[in-house]
Amino acid sequence: MSSDFDAGVRWFILGYFLRIGRAPLVTELAVERAQPAAAIQAALQRLQEAHGVVLDRSTGELLMVHPFSCVPTAFRVEVDKSWWANCIWDALGIPAMLKRDGSVHTWCGCCGDAMTLTIANGALCNATGIVHFAVPAKDWWRDIVFT
Amino acid sequence: MLLFRDEEHVARWCGMPGQPRGEAFPVELAWNLAKAWYGDRLEPGSRRRTAAESQALLTQVGLISPFWKLV
Repeated sequence: MSSDFDAGVRWFILGYFLRIGRAPLVTELAVERAQPAAAIQAALQRLQEAHGVVLDRSTGELLMVHPFSCVPTAFRVEVDKSWWANCIWDALGIPAMLKRDGSVHTWCGCCGDAMTLTIANGALCNATGIVHFAVPAKDWWRDIVFT
Repeated sequence: MLLFRDEEHVARWCGMPGQPRGEAFPVELAWNLAKAWYGDRLEPGSRRRTAAESQALLTQVGLISPFWKLV
């Protein structure tokens, strides 16, 4: 398969997230792209090697499609629809990507107190809080789930 | 990449066993980073950036220390 096919799969996944609010399963991708599941799985593997998606090692299903998380996390984003994000960077990335106002619901990584960030008129309104990156940039993809 | 109430809470969390201290900055900078990184993700023709292009985006928002070197 060509890189155009892989790019098409990735665009379809992003669109699916935006329309449906969750990641498609491999079987759903196969039906939608009219391809055997093996062709979809191979495309997802290539996309993972290019850091375009992250797959669940045990199931082969999508785990991360930045900025979206395919599983519940500590970062809930609301922009008309709701999505889970992988981290605070990705959580802010969803309204940034959509160029829409919205809110990010999370909690303090230390004490667990609820924290909500609001984007209104394209600006971060209640800009309180400190973001901490534990992993140096060159090591982000060594263990992207930990990062 | 977590959000903390303030610097004191970052320090307390990083003081726990096994928690590495990285770099911390105000959430406003994270919003600028998110806009720079994801703002064109849905644009027609959007493609994966090269490492140099990604590095330039980090630099653009002020993340310039060795911690932010991608390669």
